[in-house]
Amino acid sequence: MNATILLTETMHTEGTVKPTSRLTLKSQLDDMAMLWAWVAAIVAEYAIPPDTAFGIHLCLEEAISNVIRHGYSSQPGHILTVDCTSPNARELFFTVEDQAPPFDPLALSLIEELPAPAPEDLLRPGGRGILLMRKFASTIAYQRLENGNRGGNRLTIGFVLPQ
Amino acid sequence: MQLSTQDMDGGITGVELDGRMDIVGATAIDLKMNLIAGSVKKLLIDLQKVTVLGSMGLRSIMLPGRAVLSKGGKIVIFAPTEMVVSVLKASNIDSVLPIHHDLAAATAALQ
Repeated sequence: MNATILLTETMHTEGTVKPTSRLTLKSQLDDMAMLWAWVAAIVAEYAIPPDTAFGIHLCLEEAISNVIRHGYSSQPGHILTVDCTSPNARELFFTVEDQAPPFDPLALSLIEELPAPAPEDLLRPGGRGILLMRKFASTIAYQRLENGNRGGNRLTIGFVLPQ
Repeated sequence: MQLSTQDMDGGITGVELDGRMDIVGATAIDLKMNLIAGSVKKLLIDLQKVTVLGSMGLRSIMLPGRAVLSKGGKIVIFAPTEMVVSVLKASNIDSVLPIHHDLAAATAALQ
């Protein structure tokens, strides 16, 4: 099954905002190319400046690679979705949802509160993904989903668009 | 993600990276980067054509960096874009792997 892109109009109905665009990906690296094409279309549609576009690319890369590597343990055959919503002209939100076991990436943010690492530790890989997301996103929020027996995780990443 | 190498004056090995250093790009270059780092003592990593640098891409720099420094070698980052610099600085990598935008200064730092 190929990744699918569903394009709909942004709809405001009694306080709810439906996705402007939805991308469904499989839990495999090959599908990342579709993600970048999808993001490029959104960047063009909203005339997003390069530095904000860089942050969107970076944050989605971190969020989705977290789902594939940690949530799904790098196992293919799973699905995740990315929704883009724009509740107003100033904000853009990307919501990444999966059906993986509970995994709150923001819990790793405690890393930032640790004392400054020794110089020899600065080249130790790992633990920087969430730090980078916090730097480049305007907002980031995690929610555990309870959908019957399946469950899942939702990470919402927000960006303020320059006026 | 493309990787090319060149022998530079002064016994320096230059590695030019071109493309997205995300999870896909990092997977494509990790083995080559580690092989290069295992065989050189002066390494210049040219990032001027890198468009995105994520945490997995950082790993592709940090592991070779550790390998070179652990044997008494030197390593510099050359000409990253402004946004890539912001990733390097946010990660504090620049305090261990210095960033240079001038080639003469970069090669001098490796001597």
